[in-house]
Amino acid sequence: MPGMQIRLDPWPVDTFDGQLTLTPFQGELIDVETPRWAAIAPRPIPQRLTRVYVVDGKQRMEARLHVTDDAGREGHAGFGAYVAGAVDLCPHGSRQAELLSVRARRVLAHAPDLGVSPLRLSPRHPQTGELSYALLATQPGGHPNAPLQAVQGAMLAHEQELSHGLASAVPFDDTDDREHLTALTIQDGTLRSQNLGGAVVGCVKTIQTLYLPTDRAQLLSELRPGERTPILHMRYDNNRVVRFIWYVRLCQAAFYQHPMSGVMRLEMYAPEDSDFLPPIVRQVANLSGELLCKLASQAHKDPRAPQNLIPTAALEQAMGRAMGSLDLVTRRIRSHLARELGVV
Amino acid sequence: MTQNLSLGGPLAPDLPERIGMVLGTEDATPTIFWFAVSSGASVQLDDLVVVETLKPNGQPVHFYGAVDNVRKRHEGVTFESDVEDIVAGVLPASVSYAARVLVTRVDPEDFIPPQPGDVVRHARGKALEMALSADKMEEAAFPAGLIADGQVLPLNFRFINGESGGHINISGISGVATKTSYALFLLHSIFRSGVMDRVAHKSGGRQAGSAGGKAIIFNVKGEDLLFLDKPNSKVVDRENKARHTKGLTADRYSLLGLPMSPFRDVQFLAPPRAAGVGGAIVPHVDQRAEGVTPFVFTLREFCLRRMLPYVFSDAAGSLNLGFVIGNIEEKLARLASDGTGAALLVSDWDPVQSEEVPDDVQFDALGKVSLQTFPQLISYLEYKLLEQNDGEGDSKWVLKQSPGTLRAFVRRLRGVQKHLTPLVRGDLSPQQADKYRPNLISGGFQMSVVDIHNLSGPAQMFVVGVLLRDLFEYKEKNGRQDTVFVVLDELNKYAPRDDSSPIKDVLLDIAERGRSLGIILIGAQQTASEVERRIVSNAAIRVVGRLDLAEAERPEYRFLPQSFRARAGILQPGTMLVSQPDIPNPVLVNYPFPAWATRGDEVGESGKPVIEEGEAWLN
Repeated sequence: MPGMQIRLDPWPVDTFDGQLTLTPFQGELIDVETPRWAAIAPRPIPQRLTRVYVVDGKQRMEARLHVTDDAGREGHAGFGAYVAGAVDLCPHGSRQAELLSVRARRVLAHAPDLGVSPLRLSPRHPQTGELSYALLATQPGGHPNAPLQAVQGAMLAHEQELSHGLASAVPFDDTDDREHLTALTIQDGTLRSQNLGGAVVGCVKTIQTLYLPTDRAQLLSELRPGERTPILHMRYDNNRVVRFIWYVRLCQAAFYQHPMSGVMRLEMYAPEDSDFLPPIVRQVANLSGELLCKLASQAHKDPRAPQNLIPTAALEQAMGRAMGSLDLVTRRIRSHLARELGVV
Repeated sequence: MTQNLSLGGPLAPDLPERIGMVLGTEDATPTIFWFAVSSGASVQLDDLVVVETLKPNGQPVHFYGAVDNVRKRHEGVTFESDVEDIVAGVLPASVSYAARVLVTRVDPEDFIPPQPGDVVRHARGKALEMALSADKMEEAAFPAGLIADGQVLPLNFRFINGESGGHINISGISGVATKTSYALFLLHSIFRSGVMDRVAHKSGGRQAGSAGGKAIIFNVKGEDLLFLDKPNSKVVDRENKARHTKGLTADRYSLLGLPMSPFRDVQFLAPPRAAGVGGAIVPHVDQRAEGVTPFVFTLREFCLRRMLPYVFSDAAGSLNLGFVIGNIEEKLARLASDGTGAALLVSDWDPVQSEEVPDDVQFDALGKVSLQTFPQLISYLEYKLLEQNDGEGDSKWVLKQSPGTLRAFVRRLRGVQKHLTPLVRGDLSPQQADKYRPNLISGGFQMSVVDIHNLSGPAQMFVVGVLLRDLFEYKEKNGRQDTVFVVLDELNKYAPRDDSSPIKDVLLDIAERGRSLGIILIGAQQTASEVERRIVSNAAIRVVGRLDLAEAERPEYRFLPQSFRARAGILQPGTMLVSQPDIPNPVLVNYPFPAWATRGDEVGESGKPVIEEGEAWLN
């Protein structure tokens, strides 16, 4: 009988989840790349891939509101802010990475039947800028969480547009060989439901669900940094979502960590039909090892290393800064109301 | 929005380009603030800038200041090793370029802080005048050098000539700090910029043209200053080079409005070479053959004009010795008062009683002994103090002092005998005495260079002490008309902090009362910490060249802000930090290569001065 084994989950306990939850998967997996289940070495990043975009988004509620309009209708509303941005970098390191369009948007999310107008909160000093809230209608139904969901939806839509707008197109049709992979978007987290056709690869930091059956999962522990598993065609058991997925190791697991530490799941949009593997998807999988090892963060700099990529962390910080201090925004909202009510 | 607001101020017409905005992540105070430099702009240390802020009532307040610190750093990243990720193109980051401003002036004097986001501009034109307080100086402004971008730093002459303040003090390491060069440049600027006349005109005083004012310079090192009246053959080359490397629009003399020409009306005085009785009097210089006048004091003058104390530079070490000196000084002055000629006649020296009588003692017709040389004078004093009356001495001379003190007195005199013998002579004809008597004031010369570098320490002290004392007494009688500038290096030797000496007393007199008498001390020293505090603190203008960094941290240099103290250690020759009362912070200036030769081999072709005058007279 084997002795008791204790291994650490690499992420600190105060993060929302551990890196490895490893819930078993109920859906369907098909080998699309090769039937041979073995590690695949990374390939060099092709020279013509000159732009990699790391895209992420963030949103927050700045105030929950109860609004009564001119007609006396009451409803939930909220001041919200969201931002989606990208880091534009060259995978060959030929230029410095830049932040793209990290600009916060502010919305007044309100029930669709309320008559409200956009708001502009002006500061006392002209140098500190004004806050401008555009209108955003929530889903009907008057659920108290509807404003938050609306803000989140707006953020996701914006992020999705940004991701696909920046990346090369991925045709699901093998007759079209004109498209080359020149621009790739790395999106933080799983892919959104709607595919807009760009070369967007989702990087899932945690392994909450272990999609592989036990006999195959052993390979994840054996991968060396940069190596990946073959690409699989995956269909969720709800039958709605299909993706290409593969696993990449970013760094060696320390002896005290779970052997799957440092492994990341990547996913790309897939057609329903499991026979066809678009060449661009294979290219992305081939270069993903080298690219992600380059972007992987260090444990002493980022508690969620290596999966929280260096550009992602920088982008998160920039987005937080773009939205500004919540305390100051709250104060501005209060002083606006104070002025409206004639208190000051 | 701020752009529009700032157009309302008095600086509105043709505003210089914006170079940055006041930072909000560091404290902005009325005396010091940081600003973020706009991308594409370049800001360096010593740049003069102006910021306009608006009070809540809409009234503008302007802050003028100098950049004393500039820095760049990556912002938005935490770790020092992040620079590698940034350069590798993985981590996005921006470079923050910020500059710190030390405010020199707030106008009007509403000491509110500037507002983060206020626009920062280079100070040019009227703003520059405000930043450097030139508007307060008006006609008293004269050029003290060029600031970093080639603009002229004005110095307020009223803080030099004694009206509002006086004296200049220069500190710096020998050799690299170029203290004497800068002192000479300031003299050149004072004499040739016309500032003396402008100030005199304004106050209704006498205008003497560019000949107004006199200068006395003590040459303590080499024969550097013996060619001030000769053009420098290298100046054109050097100035062309400087113009090129600094990107100036004209040579520095033109920018300063000064002629590129050597000093005029200069006399050179040098001590004579040692010679026997009746020997010829030849100046003791090596490089310059003509135009150097030797200077000698007659023995009778030595006694009559009470020069004895200046022989003892450390007399204050002993109270008794000081008493003896004072007594003998008095006796000698009385002896000398009824006589003529260069020698001192004494009637009460009975050489029979003397242990050793000099061979060359001469008797005059009345049997008086005529003292012709300094050693003879010492022998006479020895006789009067220790030998007369079987070793008791003359009681009126001894005045009950112990023989030990008297011996100390004589021993010290013997110690300096060798050094002073060539300078104090009794064997001169009245014509010689007149010719070789140093005349620093009433001769027709504007500048007198007194070469003392060949003299030994005690003789230097003697010459400097006697000449300054004479000058002081002359000015006490004749008042402050015709300011006299005294350039003296190595103040730490003449006015040390801890000891006292007759010369130090003279220098202290000059420092504390010279202002009102029209004697201005341009003093220099390696280390101000070793100079009498009152002399340094009386200087209205303080200048610092390259300093030893340990020295720069001493309290004497606290007038320099910390960042300037650190920079004082890396100043190059030809660059000085100038502090004046009108501007609360020191300003870094460079000044042109001397237009006068500083060595024999720099002398330009004789009779062909480089540029005789400014070009204005051609028109």
